[in-house]
Amino acid sequence: MRTLITLLLTLTISTTVFGQDVLPKMQIETLKGANINLEDISSNDQLVIVSLWATWCVPCKNELDAINDVYEDWVEETNVKLYAVSVDDSRTVKRVKPLVSGKGWEFDILLDTNSDLKRKLNAPTIPLTLLVKNNKILYRHSGYTPGSEDELYEKIKEFSK
Amino acid sequence: MNRYKLIATLLCAPFFMFSQEDDKKDYGKLSGGIESNSQYYVDDSKTGDFEEDDPFRSNNYLRLNYDYKNWFAHIQVESYEPNAILNFYPKYKGTDVGTFAVGYKSSKFEATLGHFYEQFGSGLILRSWEDRQLGINNSIRGANVKYRPTNALEFSSLYGRQRDGFEVSDGSIYGFNAEIGLSSLFKLETTGLDLGLSYVGRDEDLDVDNPNFESLTNAFSARLDFTEGNIYSSIEYVKKGEDVYSELGNIIEDRYFDGSAWLFNFGYAKSGLGIDATFRRMENMAFFSERDESANVFNQNYLNFIPALTKQHDYGLTNIFVYQSQPRLTFNPIFKSGEIGGQVDIFYNIKKGTTLGGKYGTKLAFNYATWSGLKGNFNINDRTYEDTEFFGFGEKYFEEFSLDIKKKWSPKWSSIVSIVNTFYNARFVEDRIGEVNATAIVGEVTRKLGNGKSVRAEVSHLFSDDETSERAKNWAGGTLEYNFSSRLSVFATDIWNYGNPDEDRQIHYYTFGGSFTKGATRVMASYGRQRGGLVCVGGICRFVPENTGFSLSVSTSF
Repeated sequence: MRTLITLLLTLTISTTVFGQDVLPKMQIETLKGANINLEDISSNDQLVIVSLWATWCVPCKNELDAINDVYEDWVEETNVKLYAVSVDDSRTVKRVKPLVSGKGWEFDILLDTNSDLKRKLNAPTIPLTLLVKNNKILYRHSGYTPGSEDELYEKIKEFSK
Repeated sequence: MNRYKLIATLLCAPFFMFSQEDDKKDYGKLSGGIESNSQYYVDDSKTGDFEEDDPFRSNNYLRLNYDYKNWFAHIQVESYEPNAILNFYPKYKGTDVGTFAVGYKSSKFEATLGHFYEQFGSGLILRSWEDRQLGINNSIRGANVKYRPTNALEFSSLYGRQRDGFEVSDGSIYGFNAEIGLSSLFKLETTGLDLGLSYVGRDEDLDVDNPNFESLTNAFSARLDFTEGNIYSSIEYVKKGEDVYSELGNIIEDRYFDGSAWLFNFGYAKSGLGIDATFRRMENMAFFSERDESANVFNQNYLNFIPALTKQHDYGLTNIFVYQSQPRLTFNPIFKSGEIGGQVDIFYNIKKGTTLGGKYGTKLAFNYATWSGLKGNFNINDRTYEDTEFFGFGEKYFEEFSLDIKKKWSPKWSSIVSIVNTFYNARFVEDRIGEVNATAIVGEVTRKLGNGKSVRAEVSHLFSDDETSERAKNWAGGTLEYNFSSRLSVFATDIWNYGNPDEDRQIHYYTFGGSFTKGATRVMASYGRQRGGLVCVGGICRFVPENTGFSLSVSTSF
């Protein structure tokens, strides 16, 4: 137990020195089956929301439903773009396309079927929401409670300037 | 274990790995994450004392990634001190390096030495993955090389041994995989067509004196994915070569069987409507990296990924009768040679402005799943069977209808109603007695209060004819959740087996707690009584005995 605490403390101290602030370099599959480079999605000052979700995650779906309701306005006012990265594994990944269509979500969907991105972002839980520009992570939040999309939008307005 | 060296290294790490800004020299990039899940078990006057060792138990993970240009490395240290939380795989004990790897990655070429996670196709032939809630980390330790000559082609080959606790299991694993994008090769404009071919071999020499015995077991897979407009479909076939039969973990030297699996999927998706149907037939498809682990109940040493294809439900009372897939061939305690069945999902959005849609639309999700044993003639004494019909449905194991209706009433109010009707054949799914018919009804409402505050209330009821002592008959449940902001939430939840004929078993399983989130850090704390049963994540379940206590989870990344 003492070793553990030492280990955790050591890390807390040592990690204050650096921070993870970029998206990993990797290829990721789109819902249409193409592979894109993750670094390209936020190039040329394009502000993007990257949201890790899954078909079985209720708060994730609530968050994306809530954003979908106002997405048109967000895009119009800030030119932000949302990439919703499904971490569904092969058991549920076939549900992604009908669910997205059924819900009428209008943003881009990416697939992280063996959790490679989730692991590289060190995200034990979803939803995880990031704001990214020029591959730099500007804002990170995990979990969703009703209304937190308003807080996200405040951040979007701040970073879209 | 030279823990202190590790600590020293970690402490020094940032001093020689500054991020890019300094001096414009590229020292690479270090990132990582910590996750800690702890429990303190207490005696419970209603359900009994905690009788195991170590009432305090803690699972801890530290992962560090280092990236420099095209090179990458990672190490994951795991600590189960003084013990892993209840009913984890016993080989997760103490503190040690769990996984490590170094590698090189460019757009055409990728090589990894050390532990890696890999999946061929849907995983029906091979998947290595990690789930910390379930205590699964079956990464392969060895070498994995991928080559992508064009966008349409990818070839992988791997060799290694599968992780087993802090060691590796006995069998050597060989794998080859090819992904061929036929539509790009043939320049098809509107049609998507992808072909996948895989081979997986497991070589484990045993002291078996039988001419039929071969240490190497081969499995082959072929699959095709198709999309055209709103329609998509895929088909996969896996053939697992003949292998010695193992029963309850014992090798039966004179019995040999092969295995196979078919997976077929069809879907249709347009705006406002999505339909997806899956059929799967598996016969003797449990594929282990070590043969005598074939009876383990901790989901360890699986080479392939064969989860239950049913809907994962969201509530306490809809997760009591959860199907687990039945891929194995067993003659004892009961004959089973596999499973056959499928599921259909329909997602539909009733448009805004219609009578049923109202101002904001209404979202429906329907699921039907049915699974049965394979039809076959068997002889338990000789341990032989003949499987005659390809589409033969034998004993029914599980059937379920469910419907979720999600409705937003106003900017502040929204609600969900969920109905689940289940047939659950405990005799085959759990190897115990009884068949269960159960219907769960759940209603939840959420009210936004402004400034990030909101409240959510949920009530549920389960009508059940189950006679199994610890969960017999009807249940009722409720949850109340209050969110102070996007960072801080508290909740209280209870499920109550009020209909249990045994008054001593009319137990409240209550939990209350809270969570705090800031940036990449999340802390969750709770106290409560946990129902004994299956904890399932993504169709794979872990059995957890009834317990009471405090739990604390902390995670962060940097």
